[in-house]
Amino acid sequence: MERKDYLKEPVTHIKINGALTVDQLMQQFANSGSFGAGRLAAACDTYEKMLKDPECTIFLGLSGAVVPAGMRTLVKDLIRNHLVDVIVSTGACMVHDAIEAVGGHHYKGGWAVNDNELYKYHLFRIYDIFVPEEDYVKLDYALSDMYADIAKERKGESLGSDEFTYEIGKRLKDENSILRVAYEEGVPIFLPSARDSEFGFIHWLHSAQQQDQKNVLQLDAFKDVPTICGICSKSPKNGMIIIGGGVPRNTIQSSTLASKKGLDYAVVITLDRPETGGLSGSTLEETVSWGKMKGSADHVTVVGEALMVFPFVVASVTERLGKDFKRQPFLQREKLVGRGI
Amino acid sequence: MEGENLKFCGNCDSHNCYDYPTKVFCSTRHAQNLNPIVDTLWHCDNWNQVSQECYCVREAQKAKNNFETQR
Repeated sequence: MERKDYLKEPVTHIKINGALTVDQLMQQFANSGSFGAGRLAAACDTYEKMLKDPECTIFLGLSGAVVPAGMRTLVKDLIRNHLVDVIVSTGACMVHDAIEAVGGHHYKGGWAVNDNELYKYHLFRIYDIFVPEEDYVKLDYALSDMYADIAKERKGESLGSDEFTYEIGKRLKDENSILRVAYEEGVPIFLPSARDSEFGFIHWLHSAQQQDQKNVLQLDAFKDVPTICGICSKSPKNGMIIIGGGVPRNTIQSSTLASKKGLDYAVVITLDRPETGGLSGSTLEETVSWGKMKGSADHVTVVGEALMVFPFVVASVTERLGKDFKRQPFLQREKLVGRGI
Repeated sequence: MEGENLKFCGNCDSHNCYDYPTKVFCSTRHAQNLNPIVDTLWHCDNWNQVSQECYCVREAQKAKNNFETQR
């Protein structure tokens, strides 16, 4: 590069004049183009490109306390409006969704509290959110019955995690549930670490109750691998949006690697750092070396807390698209996924 | 409070909250295909002392006393 190439675009100062819409504010951030504001604006641009690319399948990776903190409806609406195509989640995120689907709640709390007292009151803390134990127990009780029903209906067949979430979604009646709406819209939800959540530990309760082993629900950890890799392989382009990181991010990235596609678009929202060598904080540039993302991919990492960042991204991009925007996902056009997968 | 050290479902190792503080979920009864929702202040022959104390019995006794006072 020559010296003049480094000095192409001056910073334009942010101007706040009266009532700005979210996207107008985002345009001001883009004018700055710097620091977190610049990355946030770039994330909006990348997501907008994914949505407007008719060949792109959009993976949303969920980890952390997405639902307890208040993003359940946001994610549900993305699924309902076909603004994401495939969900890859920790088991816990979908457990949190299911807790609310059976009538439980997450409560505004605090972080400077007496945790021993919370323990004695059977209250669980997720940073500054409280969950009563009975909301987990009521879910456990409901899941135990669902597991028995699923095992009976599927006649002892081992399920992939996407089939498992499909069956759970089918049995939840809450129209605000991520699992339910994904079931209705034919959006697969993969849980590569299902066992590491209440979905896994409740299996102990469920299996202890069954006299006949044929009635015990079986989950096959490998069965969904061809499914998710097949989606990546058949999609002309793949994009991902990551909230947090962890197993969901690795699953999406490794599926694009296994299918020899590499991501075309990527947005990562995380507070993790790259120096540990852990995946959650790894830079997207690092993923290029593996072949998980194309060197030419449109990508950005937003270093920030997802509850503050992601609603801005969605609000800004949906404002740009307008309420008449309709997207028909490539996977559904080609009937690669859908109801009853 | 009186009764905290007595045998109650609310201080049994098999209990979890169900309708705090008056009802608990019993995992032992669930495994036996019996109704797992029982009174916090009940107990059965399978009672085992809980390893770490909680407020279930105390709060259930308070709720019971309040209910009887109101009657």
